[in-house]
Amino acid sequence: MVKLTPEQLEKMGKPAADNAKNWIKVGMSSCGIAAGAEEVYNFFTEEVKKRNLPVAVKKCGCAGMCYAEPLVEVNVEGLPAVIYGAVNKEIATKILEKHVVSKMLVNDCIFEVLS
Amino acid sequence: MYTKVILVKDTDTKREDRTREFFTRLLDYLRECNLHEQVQVVRVADIGVYGRGLVVKILPDEITYINLQDTDIRRIIDAAFKENKVVEELLLKPKAKQHRIVLRNCGKIDPESIEEYIACGGYLALKKVLGELTQQSLIEEIKVSGIRGRGGAGYPTWMKWNFAREINSNEKFVICNADEGDPGAYMDRSVLEGDPHSVIEGLIIAAFAIGAAKGYFYIRAEYPLAVERINKAIKQAYEYGLLGKNILGSKFSLDLDIRLGAGAFVCGEETALISSIEGKRGYPHPRPPYPSVKGLWGKPTVINNVETLANIPQIIAKGGKWFAGIGTQTSKGTKVFAVTGKIKNSGLVEVAMGATLRDIVMDICGGTFSGKPIKAVQTGGPSGGVIPAELLDTPVDYENLQKLGSIMGSGGMIVMDEDDCMVDIPKFYLGFCKEESCGKCAPCRIGGFQMLNYLKRISEGNGKLEDLKQMRRIAQAMQKASLCGLGQTASNPVVSTLRYFESEYNEHILNKRCPAGKCSNLVTYSIVEDKCKRCGICVINCPVKAINGDKESGFSIVPEKCVKCGRCLDVCKFKAINKK
Repeated sequence: MVKLTPEQLEKMGKPAADNAKNWIKVGMSSCGIAAGAEEVYNFFTEEVKKRNLPVAVKKCGCAGMCYAEPLVEVNVEGLPAVIYGAVNKEIATKILEKHVVSKMLVNDCIFEVLS
Repeated sequence: MYTKVILVKDTDTKREDRTREFFTRLLDYLRECNLHEQVQVVRVADIGVYGRGLVVKILPDEITYINLQDTDIRRIIDAAFKENKVVEELLLKPKAKQHRIVLRNCGKIDPESIEEYIACGGYLALKKVLGELTQQSLIEEIKVSGIRGRGGAGYPTWMKWNFAREINSNEKFVICNADEGDPGAYMDRSVLEGDPHSVIEGLIIAAFAIGAAKGYFYIRAEYPLAVERINKAIKQAYEYGLLGKNILGSKFSLDLDIRLGAGAFVCGEETALISSIEGKRGYPHPRPPYPSVKGLWGKPTVINNVETLANIPQIIAKGGKWFAGIGTQTSKGTKVFAVTGKIKNSGLVEVAMGATLRDIVMDICGGTFSGKPIKAVQTGGPSGGVIPAELLDTPVDYENLQKLGSIMGSGGMIVMDEDDCMVDIPKFYLGFCKEESCGKCAPCRIGGFQMLNYLKRISEGNGKLEDLKQMRRIAQAMQKASLCGLGQTASNPVVSTLRYFESEYNEHILNKRCPAGKCSNLVTYSIVEDKCKRCGICVINCPVKAINGDKESGFSIVPEKCVKCGRCLDVCKFKAINKK
């Protein structure tokens, strides 16, 4: 890889405009993994591929809400970004079917609304 | 397309959950007004407000109404959609909020991608330092910010850096202290796992400030994922030329390495940590000389905590003045707390210094999960003290906590309710410190052992009133004469509980009674004949077969066999087990 110059670094510091607008982030620190985040992450990546959904699945660190791990942050255009807590495969399916496809927030699993 | 979102949640845990009922009524009214196509109503699991009845939050306006009745539905909907107003008397008054500096990227970016960190403005602080600042002006900026060490003692970071900078030496070192060992504290782990590059950037800046060419991460081996992520992050930084020779084309070079701690608590103390890196046994040394003067291999060394370092890039990027504007007179910036224990929402909370304990425990974390009143909050882990519920309104900063007999510590905060015994808690912490004492100096080694014996005796009902006096004397000796922080602070849990809960000690000693029912030797279980339905579930669940009798003649507990595990109490559906 190229060694960065200060100018290149600055350029990278401005996020590209075409950054994916739809994404799912799974909290994958020790706390999340212990609560089953790995399984949820794999489920999301497989299902998104299988159903060919316009959403990127990413990993991230711990958001701090340990009581509600595994945490999944979902951002879909037209809806506020939200954090779902205690996500399992069942809720994950709902997130994909309701939130991502039908653009409806899923009941009873939202722990924080970000925007 | 929906224009608004309404969140609904019943936050009153004392009665039946009315969220669904209210949700349906709300939907009905929206349909009546023909608004249901524009508004999406969602039941949420947590609305960020606790114990305020039915709560509704309207987005994107961010209007929160509390303590709602069914009759209020019409008012709030009409106000929001027809009159474009707010219903003042139902509004939630602003409450304590988190302020995230250290955790800014945690949960936002992929910790294994340096590109994502850079895209969030990462390493720009480093660029500014290398391009625009000198060692002096950098340290001056840190001085203006007023940041103090987040590891516990609260020593001004700029002074540490300045001491090390001023010394002429052919070699200097920087170390990131990631040997987080307090029971119940995991702030550092979360930062290392969630945003490793921010710590690395902070460490590079610290190295530049003192002129070090070599740095170490000292991470405990119990954090395998943190080690893996830091390792990966260091590799990525090397590939981009952010570590190694001539960083970002400047004259400054730095190499970083990881050293693993083998699980000794004392190695979080800086002189013991240095010994450990040198490959020696993790024994502390007397200070002075301080590590800033004579540290690793006798060279000037700066040791900073993970959280301190994670703050540095933000201070440089936004300026020391900005940072100094947050917090209290003596303690600037924010602090991350790991709130655990009998708390509803356990987890990490980052608040500006000066937030009260009540803000943190009640407003942000929602109080106890049992709904029982809080008895005390323990801060600072085994080196800290217990703060009683009456003092929950104290603003949290280094000085205030010290005045109360506790310390800020690394940020562990354990919430206790009336089921926690104030003799048992210090016994646990002192037991931990006794185990972890390295044994080098007598006050810590012998004092801890003796004091623990007194506590054990008291909790078994064999204590005497003179014991309390003796414990206070030992505590003073340990504080004054111990070599390192471990011994000096090990008695804090005992001293603070003696200060605030002496009556509870007396109850143990004089009446042989444990008010919280925690000290098993002072508790007896018995079956109340009148309430017992003779179902026999306690017999099945008793692990030591201490319950005699049958369904005809009734049951009784044999005190000699009972190990006081409390299992029978938990399983009895008729409250027929008496605990005394």
